[in-house]
Amino acid sequence: MSEENKTLFDDGPAIVVRDLDELVPKLAQMREAQAIFATYSQEQVDRIFYAAALAASAARIPLAKMAVEETGMGCFEDKVTKNLYASEYIYNAYKDTKTCDVIERDEAAGMTKVAEPIGVVAAVIPTTNPTSTAIFKCLICLKTRNAIMISPHPRAKKCTCEAARIVLEAAVAAGAPEGIIGWVDAVSLESTNVLMSEADIILATGGPGMVKAAYSSGTPALGVGAGNTPVIIDESADVRMAVNSIIHSKTFDNGMICASEQSVTVVGDETYAQVRAEFENRGCYFLKGEELDKVRRTIIINGRLNARIVGQTAHTIAGLAGVEVPERTKILIGEVESVDISEPFAHEKLSPVLALYHADSFETALAMSERLVADGGYGHTSSLYIDTAQREKIAEHAKRMKTCRILINTPSSHGGIGDLYNFQLAPSLTLGCGSWGGNSVSENVGPKHLINIKSVAERRENMLWLRTPEKVFFKKGCMSLALRELGDEWGCKRAFIVTDSFLYKNGNTQAIERALDAQGIVHSSFWNVQPDPTIQSAREGVAQINAFEPDVIIAMGGGSAMDAAKIMWCMYEYPEERFDDMALDFMDIRKRIYRFKKMGSKCRFVAIPTSSGTGSECTPFAIITDAETGIKWPIADYELLPTMAIVDTDNMMTQPKGLTSASGIDVLTHAIEAYVSVMASDFTDPYALQAAKLVFDFLPRAYEKGAADLEARDRMANASALAGIAFANAFLGVNHSMAHKLGAYHHIPHGWANAIILTRVIRYNAAERPVKMGSFSQYQYPHAKARYCEMARYCGFTGANDDEVFENFIEGIEELKRTIGVKRTIADYGVDEAYFLETLDEMSLNAFNDQCTGANPRYPLVSEIRELYLDAYYDRPATSYED
Amino acid sequence: MKLPMDKQIIVTRHNKVVYDCGDTVAKVFNGTKPASDILNEALNLARANEAGIDVPEFIEVGKDGMNWVILTRKVEGKTLRQLMTESPEMIDEYLAQLIDLELSVHAHKAPLMVRQKDKYARMIASARDILDEATRYDLLMRLDGMPNHTKVCHGDFVPSNIVVRDDGSMCICDWAHATQGNGGADCAITYLHLQLNGEQELAEKYLRLYCEKQGCSVAYVQGWMSIVAAAELARGRVTEHDYLLSMVQVVDYV
Repeated sequence: MSEENKTLFDDGPAIVVRDLDELVPKLAQMREAQAIFATYSQEQVDRIFYAAALAASAARIPLAKMAVEETGMGCFEDKVTKNLYASEYIYNAYKDTKTCDVIERDEAAGMTKVAEPIGVVAAVIPTTNPTSTAIFKCLICLKTRNAIMISPHPRAKKCTCEAARIVLEAAVAAGAPEGIIGWVDAVSLESTNVLMSEADIILATGGPGMVKAAYSSGTPALGVGAGNTPVIIDESADVRMAVNSIIHSKTFDNGMICASEQSVTVVGDETYAQVRAEFENRGCYFLKGEELDKVRRTIIINGRLNARIVGQTAHTIAGLAGVEVPERTKILIGEVESVDISEPFAHEKLSPVLALYHADSFETALAMSERLVADGGYGHTSSLYIDTAQREKIAEHAKRMKTCRILINTPSSHGGIGDLYNFQLAPSLTLGCGSWGGNSVSENVGPKHLINIKSVAERRENMLWLRTPEKVFFKKGCMSLALRELGDEWGCKRAFIVTDSFLYKNGNTQAIERALDAQGIVHSSFWNVQPDPTIQSAREGVAQINAFEPDVIIAMGGGSAMDAAKIMWCMYEYPEERFDDMALDFMDIRKRIYRFKKMGSKCRFVAIPTSSGTGSECTPFAIITDAETGIKWPIADYELLPTMAIVDTDNMMTQPKGLTSASGIDVLTHAIEAYVSVMASDFTDPYALQAAKLVFDFLPRAYEKGAADLEARDRMANASALAGIAFANAFLGVNHSMAHKLGAYHHIPHGWANAIILTRVIRYNAAERPVKMGSFSQYQYPHAKARYCEMARYCGFTGANDDEVFENFIEGIEELKRTIGVKRTIADYGVDEAYFLETLDEMSLNAFNDQCTGANPRYPLVSEIRELYLDAYYDRPATSYED
Repeated sequence: MKLPMDKQIIVTRHNKVVYDCGDTVAKVFNGTKPASDILNEALNLARANEAGIDVPEFIEVGKDGMNWVILTRKVEGKTLRQLMTESPEMIDEYLAQLIDLELSVHAHKAPLMVRQKDKYARMIASARDILDEATRYDLLMRLDGMPNHTKVCHGDFVPSNIVVRDDGSMCICDWAHATQGNGGADCAITYLHLQLNGEQELAEKYLRLYCEKQGCSVAYVQGWMSIVAAAELARGRVTEHDYLLSMVQVVDYV
């Protein structure tokens, strides 16, 4: 043992600072000890924790005696209890708590929590509870593998250090490194300030000056402050239990626990009389006449608590005030009125002196207690005695008290420190007072505040799902069969058909009406859906729907009719919902802020496409335009998925050539974008691949032969729905983002807008060295090119290597575009150059901001989108899309 | 420095005599007073003047035999204390003037003046014979936590240190204890001095009116009471020792 390691009392393993100059070098020694301690296992630590707690508990009597003798404050028997509490209750509460290394592990979620010690703890220990606080702080430091340097109060130095010595020696005997606990013998303001700034964390228990010093030191601090616990006794309370609990608590250690009651406010005359009588019967003394002023002058001097009364008996304090009371008087009670700080009884008194107030109502009592808390007990503790059936009053009290512990029917000294009258409140001798008390914690301080927790987060992939309509009917002629389910399966009675005027007048809905009539389902129709459907027209439809009150909506048409009908469905089910909320962009549809309500409570939804197409019959998307502002609202949520989709080629036979071309190439774009999306999965890939293959195989025939080639029409209908399922789950990409804006700004039909830029975007996405890649856990590295090649091979393109396959794929798409009459450039669609250039920046920014951009495998820069647009306008080849 | 033979004693204190020398006033300190104290007082006077406060004109520091002397231009008029004694019916008005003047001093800055907290910390730390270690520790901790301000604080702002000229303007004398710091401490000193002067009622009235005019709570000023009382003890005041000690022995938390 070196000379420095000699303790105050004996040779021993403590680090003792006897001079301010020694403090910093000795803290360095302590850090070395702590570095060794930091390597200890949970088993070693728990052994030490056990031995230390046991030793402290065994020394409870001599330590209590020392504390009373040295400080001249408090009650020996109660200090014994406090020492026992600080050792036994703390041990019991934390004996099984994991504080070392891995403390939590969730394999499925890939999360490991690792506890590390903080280092050197600076502990400032007060005179009110010197030995118990020292035991408490040392034990929680040992449990967390921290070192602790104690700054005792000069008035309680010997007993504080003795408590620390006892804990330390037992810890060292159980294997702890020497020097893990120490104290400042030469304690001064300077030493305390230096210790605070040099330590890694501060456990400061003290007055406002101390707590402020702790928080000003620049070191993280757990500082706690003074209380001014107000008690309310409600009319409904059990008065005998209440009064005796208060006496028990207020006399404990002569009132020195900071959570101790300072005032009692009684509601109602009758209760007041009962409370008064009970206090009197149990040996409390009510100050009379001049006695009240004498005690006032004694307890508070110039607004501050007289140090000489702290922790003294009621009889001693009365003596100091020149008031004669029986020797065994428990508490001096002042019946006072003012809750203002100018009333000495309204202060924290840290002694068996209590203010008694009368309130005419519970509300008045609350207002008085609020004021008493503000007088010096912000954040600490408040207390209420009440019949627990009075939940509203209890809730109102909890709401109004700015205190971090709110105790119901509980002696507050014992209640506040936890685990004695409520077993969920953590046992502690350092009670956080939250920001109200200038503290960083609002709960009872324990080991968890003395560890750093590392979260080791392993990469995990997002949960995904496959969402489709309940039923998708397909094959030519399936509609009449499918519609039978409306009556047979669903028991529908009232159907509402939404379509456009062309289809309605053309008689395309007649087959539906016949099927409904056959089942006795009454029906009505709305046929005023325009291309690019508007909110205004949807409202018109909803007015009819509301009047008709259908139990099923049948949407027949292209994307416009189905989208408009989805919106009408939504407005019918939830008329109060707002479009701007529904249309808010999101990063992940499962985490979006706005939650769609559950659809289907009033009616189901059947989608019957007449073109191939948008795939809207299988998607949860709808686009609707506000005619007043011109804003297009893209609405997306799985609640908008049709309940049933009926893909019947009979409804698609009359598609004109232009529609076949535009909607057919849209299908291909859906398939390709869904396949390279960052959200593509094993569940969406088959749909995307098959859809793409069907387009290559059948779109040229469908385009050229129209209704004459039934098979081509049929397979293209399937392709549209399959692609819909793929992108309903894997989403799209920047091709669609850009196409949406070409449509909005330059009115190029959507499918062709996609087609003009399709191969350019493919090349852009295929870059192996993009400036930024798309972010989604599943998307591990840029690999769009390989994905395009997989799709190409599935569709029958070949080549000696990926590069060749890729080029052949591009060429195949270009050839398909030529075959179905897609023009080469944006300019070819009659877009004026000057207007194009004028709108280019805004259009590029809006394309970047489109909802489809997020799933693109390459995260685009606005400047890149701009270049892609320019290339597609002037038909110029891109030099490189690499970074 | 040679003082005139016909000089008149204005006041005698335990460590100094103040003389009226016709058109000047000489403050003659007894021989034990260290030169640094004399120079500090003169420096404070100069700094207060430069800060724009109405103070007697500083003329010179010199020696009369073994004794240090601070010589200033005499200010014609009566002290506020004299006026208060002569016209007790006017006392409320004088009190209001005193506080207005005190607050006007606080409105000034003198960045080179001694810092109030440093001065009190030094005084408390030096009072080893009067205050025990624990009490000094509590006091220093409390002082450390007090708000840091930079107002000019006279440090002995009592009616006898204020000379009222015929035109009603007021000149502030005796800058020996001046610091820059918290006005609440200055108020606590004035309160304490009024108390020690046996003027309890006036002291309470002063405290309430100061806080009202300053817009602070009485408790805020009371936070300084134990500190200024300790400083007063440290200064070696022997009378009222017990009274001052009772003011010191208070706790915020123990």
